[in-house]
Amino acid sequence: MRYGAVAVPTSDLHPISSSRVNRPAPKKAFGAESGCHENLSTSSSEMRTQIGKKAHRLPRGHPALEPWPSDVKLYQPYEVEQILLQDQANSLAVQVFLRMCGLEFQVEMRSNAEHMSPSGKLPFIKCGAFVVADLDPIVSFIANKGINLTDHLDAAQKADMRAYMSLANNILGNAELYISWCDENVLNEVTCPRYGSVYSWPLNTLLTWRKQKQVTKKLTALGWITKTLDEVYEDVDHCCNALSERLGNHLYFFNDRCTELDAVVFGHVFTLLTTPLPDNRLASIVRSYPNLVEACQFLEKAFFQKPTANTTDGDSDNFN
Amino acid sequence: MASNPVMELEIWKGEWGLPSVDVHCLEVMTYAKFSGTPLKTKITNNPFKTPHGSLPVFQHENECLTKFGEISAYLRKNNHTADFELSPKQCAEAFAYSHLIYEKLVPALQFIWWIDSKNFIEFTRPLYAKLLPFPLNFYYPGQYEKHAKQLAMSLYPEEDDLSVIETAVYRQADECLCLLATKLGEKEFFFGQSPSSLDAVVFAHLAPLLKAPLPSAALQNHLKACTNLTRFVGRVLQRYFPKEIKDHEQAERKITKQESEYSDSEFPNKLRNISIAALISLVAMTAYAMSTGIIQVVPADEGEEED
Repeated sequence: MRYGAVAVPTSDLHPISSSRVNRPAPKKAFGAESGCHENLSTSSSEMRTQIGKKAHRLPRGHPALEPWPSDVKLYQPYEVEQILLQDQANSLAVQVFLRMCGLEFQVEMRSNAEHMSPSGKLPFIKCGAFVVADLDPIVSFIANKGINLTDHLDAAQKADMRAYMSLANNILGNAELYISWCDENVLNEVTCPRYGSVYSWPLNTLLTWRKQKQVTKKLTALGWITKTLDEVYEDVDHCCNALSERLGNHLYFFNDRCTELDAVVFGHVFTLLTTPLPDNRLASIVRSYPNLVEACQFLEKAFFQKPTANTTDGDSDNFN
Repeated sequence: MASNPVMELEIWKGEWGLPSVDVHCLEVMTYAKFSGTPLKTKITNNPFKTPHGSLPVFQHENECLTKFGEISAYLRKNNHTADFELSPKQCAEAFAYSHLIYEKLVPALQFIWWIDSKNFIEFTRPLYAKLLPFPLNFYYPGQYEKHAKQLAMSLYPEEDDLSVIETAVYRQADECLCLLATKLGEKEFFFGQSPSSLDAVVFAHLAPLLKAPLPSAALQNHLKACTNLTRFVGRVLQRYFPKEIKDHEQAERKITKQESEYSDSEFPNKLRNISIAALISLVAMTAYAMSTGIIQVVPADEGEEED
């Protein structure tokens, strides 16, 4: 049963951009006469072909505008024995983002977190009556409550931030998927045992096979399946180079204050550095960019270090 | 494979004033123009004969490449690059924005071209049927449609309803266009006065969306509202593909002239036919009237009409 019988579909909670709710539309929206996000489709033959442009302002008193509850839970697969590269990266990104916003939450681990998620993506949070999955919808959901990290950015910087987030998710995320599911070595030694560890035979074989087919289909559609492993490593290198150039010798990407981009990059870099794989080329590629490693360590110290040796926070010791 | 000393590119044909209708072909052609590469284009419209199964196909010496990333890397190695004026940070930005387009805009373009049923039936399928030789025009449009649907399904695995996917995909594309418009601002090109690889990628993705006569044109209208992007596309076309614009305008003028001639030529026939018909009917009616005695022609010396 899907968690949260009153779960609102994530599309309803997803305003077009987080700034939409917090500020009036920018006066000088370049190019768009009437502002980028307003209803511009003139050929409105059918409602559904409009580019959803009733501005997604929630009415006053809407439940999503309530303050952050104290019992918010973040669901992810088991960290020690089950979770895989990409899910770990996404989960860490969301966790560090929530901590950057100063929001309290608890991490709950479930073997069927993937199937509980409304959109199939991990991690997801349960906040009051709402279940929201994946970083972008969570960022928008939190922005609805008046909390966001991008107030200090101007429009050009926000555009840059979104572009770099796309870069990180596209390249690092898909590379993680590729290496987990398309590289024979990693598939047999790491992925299959971990993914099927919470099920008994023959369910573990069947579900792993099904997931592999699904991931292969996605990578085929995106054009990644035809790449060789070397090409994937080259792309990761190129991506890390671009991120490293942008970061320079700062600890944050923009204005020395943290944003979603820092969270996303932290998630991927930390995962790649701390996950032991049969071939550690990924980790060595990332390590060759010391400013990324330093920024990652800084964020880990700032948001994850606790006085007691608590193991719920993606510490590297948790990976077998 | 025979060694080819000249750089050659096999492409899809162009329509609506564009050098090619295909995004990937446009990427390579525009980048070649920006970097000053002497590239010879060959319109083949035939993905069947290609080594990788799709166009464009770039051939030089013994190299045979099809992806834009590989081709631009190869050109850069041979000292043809459009990014020589960019700082490393700007190169990184160009790379990031290209991926923004691939993540947010490409699914929408695939949707508009191949999944939206109105567009597919009235526009895309006839277009590719016209471009492809027989019997490939029965096979490839279906294949491309299948690929587009697989892309949409794999990006939204839990959604079965196409209209929900459509809304989500269009919203992302909408956001992407706004971000691009913000990045471009009032500049001529994304990184100043001279074009770069990012300009090539943006142009290649926006030009078909802007110029194609799509029946279902929600995203196209949004793009048209982003006037700086529209001007950008027009600028690139005018400066780097003037021949295609001229050919297109000439073809348009010829079509309108033919249409007006055709409509003019109807008139004399019409009038003549109408007058002849009127005359014949008048004569027939008079003859009938006279023969049945309704009208009688009385000789003038009698001075009377009977009945």
